[in-house]
Amino acid sequence: MKSTLARAVRALRALLQRRRQERELDDEVRHHLELETDANVRRGMSPDEARRAALVSFGGIDQTKEDTRETWAGRFLEVLGQDVRYGLRGLRRSPGFTAAVVLTLGLGIGANTAVFSLINGVLLKPLPYARGEQLVVVRQPDAHSSTADLGFSPLEVRDYRDMSRAFDGFVEYHSMDFTLIGGGDPRRVRAGVVSANFFDVLEVSPLLGRTFRASDEDHGADAVLVLSHGYWRSLGGDPAIVGRRFEMNDRVHTVVGVLPPIPQYPNENDVYMPSTACPFRARVVDNRRARMTTAFARMAPGVTLAQAQADVGAVSARLRASYPDAFAPGTDAHVVLSPLKDDLVQKARPTFLMLLATVALVLLIACANVANLTLARLLERARELAIRSALGAGRARLLRQLLTESTIVALAGGALGLLLAWSARGLLSAFAARLTSRASEVEIDGAVLLFTLGISVLTGILAGTLPGLPGRRKIADTLLADNGRTTSNRRRHRMRTGLVAWQLALSFILLIGAALTLRSFDNLRRVDAGFRPDHVLTARLNLNFSTYLTAEHRVDADKVNAFLRTVEDSVRQRAGVVAIGAAWTFPLNNAFQNDGTFTIEGRGETAGPPPKATFIGASGAYFDALRVPLLRGRTFEERDQPGGPGAVIVNQRLARRHWGEADPLGRRISSDGGKTWRTIVGVVGDVRQEGLESEPGGTVYLPFREFPGYAPTVFVRTQDDPARAAEDLRAATRRADPQTAVSGVRTLEDIRGEALSSPRLTSALLGLFAMLALVITAAGLGGLIAYSVSQRTQEIGIRMALGADRRRITAMVLREGMTSVFTGLALGGAGALALSRLVSGLLFGVGPNDPLCFAGSAVVLVLAALAGCFLPARRATAVSPMVALRSEA
Amino acid sequence: MARDNVDLLQGTLDVLILKTLAAGAMHGWGIAQRIQQISQDVLRVNQGSLYPALHRLEGEGWIAAEWGASENNRKAKYYRLTRSGQRQLEAETESWRRLAAAVGRILQTA
Repeated sequence: MKSTLARAVRALRALLQRRRQERELDDEVRHHLELETDANVRRGMSPDEARRAALVSFGGIDQTKEDTRETWAGRFLEVLGQDVRYGLRGLRRSPGFTAAVVLTLGLGIGANTAVFSLINGVLLKPLPYARGEQLVVVRQPDAHSSTADLGFSPLEVRDYRDMSRAFDGFVEYHSMDFTLIGGGDPRRVRAGVVSANFFDVLEVSPLLGRTFRASDEDHGADAVLVLSHGYWRSLGGDPAIVGRRFEMNDRVHTVVGVLPPIPQYPNENDVYMPSTACPFRARVVDNRRARMTTAFARMAPGVTLAQAQADVGAVSARLRASYPDAFAPGTDAHVVLSPLKDDLVQKARPTFLMLLATVALVLLIACANVANLTLARLLERARELAIRSALGAGRARLLRQLLTESTIVALAGGALGLLLAWSARGLLSAFAARLTSRASEVEIDGAVLLFTLGISVLTGILAGTLPGLPGRRKIADTLLADNGRTTSNRRRHRMRTGLVAWQLALSFILLIGAALTLRSFDNLRRVDAGFRPDHVLTARLNLNFSTYLTAEHRVDADKVNAFLRTVEDSVRQRAGVVAIGAAWTFPLNNAFQNDGTFTIEGRGETAGPPPKATFIGASGAYFDALRVPLLRGRTFEERDQPGGPGAVIVNQRLARRHWGEADPLGRRISSDGGKTWRTIVGVVGDVRQEGLESEPGGTVYLPFREFPGYAPTVFVRTQDDPARAAEDLRAATRRADPQTAVSGVRTLEDIRGEALSSPRLTSALLGLFAMLALVITAAGLGGLIAYSVSQRTQEIGIRMALGADRRRITAMVLREGMTSVFTGLALGGAGALALSRLVSGLLFGVGPNDPLCFAGSAVVLVLAALAGCFLPARRATAVSPMVALRSEA
Repeated sequence: MARDNVDLLQGTLDVLILKTLAAGAMHGWGIAQRIQQISQDVLRVNQGSLYPALHRLEGEGWIAAEWGASENNRKAKYYRLTRSGQRQLEAETESWRRLAAAVGRILQTA
């Protein structure tokens, strides 16, 4: 066996010498004939007779030459070139066919390219950190209170780092909002607070300057900042920024470095600072129970996840034994590792996979259509193919020709698809950003290009071989003898009908999938979140907290309240403001987590888990501004402040859960194991604090004036357009304290819209793909019926001559179409029933076998099919009997 | 005349060509004549398959071709056996012998 290279070289050389080779073949054959003629003359024939006999004994000269050419090196390339040239010529001759096929495939391939770029960027690509597969997220879930992650205290992170052996690095992380002062308005910055070796563990090298080093965490070290790439750009992208100073938390911070443009995990931050620089962490650094950080680790090379898990499990057991007081009584905490990558894509995976399945089906449908079109064109070209066959083109050569043509159109479709996906790339990464922080890695890169090329070729092969399959054995013979009435033709027709039935089935499945997602989106849209989102502006006022501290380094509630009162009074002056309230967070905020357990006075320890609730600080006017209904008692008042009566408000769910129909007012609860008790003064309606799709849990509202925090979220209800109150709010804040950064200014409608945007886009995409499939399928069905009508012109003419009226002819044609439709409905319905369970996790408020969705989709499919059949049916009735009877086809 | 002819088995034409050329360089017509003569007109070479076979063997590198003057002083393409063609001939001869012997034994016992 010669090497591939040698073969290639020989093929190329042979190609270059092709003309000489042709001439030599001619000479060789001529010489043979001359010798044969001479021999015949010697046997006593006349010269003419001798020549004729030589020709006869040689057989088909052109056939022999063609067979000989087939053995030449490089023949494959040459034939390919011929086929391509020939194919292009053929396609140019039927621009309608070409455009239809390229467009169909372009849409199908484009959709697949787009979805693959999502999947490639988010699910397939390795993390953009060196050896990202070794990075793990460390969690500390509590089985007793079913809390997913208690977090870690700084001391615990230190212990795990020192006592474990399976890791190369063990780091802590938390994120905080601070106010950055210096140059222009105060800016709220999201600061990632990390161990000094955080970036070393992630193996991220800085774009400018340096990242942190161990000495940055020393006591008394200068405060330093590393900027994220995005934040650096937003500051103007100054290449000499290292060394610039900003004031933050009453200290001067010096920029020491800028990160490269990598996606940041676990969330996007503007700046990074070493853990010791965080004033909040410093306050609790000795408290084992103050679990405010998240932990990440890099497993040492060669260590498996199971080994690392066993290692942290052992450390966890030792720590529990050494520090029995580190957990609240009854806590059942353990430590769990999960690969960082799984963690980041968990939310996106089911949606992306569903999209992939959808677009794959769309492409399959498109393929079937192209195969059908090709088949129809094949029959039209029967005569041409027969002639080529007679001229010596073998069966294989004809099939290869078909394959080349379909590959050419598929590649053109692929180019179109790539263009479509490329123009949608902005939309795609915006969509992905709602599901994963890896969104910025969604791009059209080499892998995506390769994928597109791959599916284009595959599509071409599929569409090119399907038509050749039936009657492959006798393709040339049947085409040669074909007058449109051969058995093989009937077989082809049956095949086309089958293809269309499958297309209808797949379209039906896609329609059902789209209908289910649309319905669940509609359900989500109509969810009563427990508040009235109209006419409310919200914003976060980020205080420069270092100026709001008491001598004991606690929140100076009086000072914060004074600030807030000034802002509230000032905004209330504005015409049209109905109410202004404040709270720790805005509703539908899945990032806010402040779950805790509590005890109810007079109820002893029960066997089950302790009562749980989300604790939220809110002012009395919060309930007015959001129009959360007060069901019993009162909301908070001015007296509910430090030193006040110690009131709490609970939501209806919590009241029902623990007191049933009894009145909870006046009952007392404690969140610190009975050291202090707070009295329930009111019951309010349930608000979906975490998100539209999560059922509201129990909520305990604390008086905001008592626990104001450093970053109140304010809510302004207006009579007019709430967005117009934004400037007044900013001005009022500036007057009250110019060092306060105002962030997150938007209306509650915006927040609600945001919560809907990802399901809206998902259902819109699925709907779009289903429509695409439907149009393709209806066109395919129409084409099939049109062909069948043209084949039956004579029969229709006879029927009409014998008295069949138009309506009967139309019914006959439609019946033929509807047979495919009902086959498709049965197949698709069965398929959807089998598949729908897979998507049930993505649905909201609708079962996977929702009869309405199934029925509705069936109706849509039948209507589309009727529309597709209507035109050919009309044409059938327009047949004039005289013309039809004369037509011999 | 076609009566007593035997159609060549698939693949046997190659080995016959190689064997014929083992005697010396020859052009296509000559090879056909030679095979027919030696087989005493039993084997008749179909010209439709002769030239494709020659070109294929040339492509494999088992035979080489060059142009020369023929008996009647015309330009003719002469094929000759190459060294690797020689080895191929030996291999095929051997396997042909084994096949023929095996078939012969079966026919005798049956």
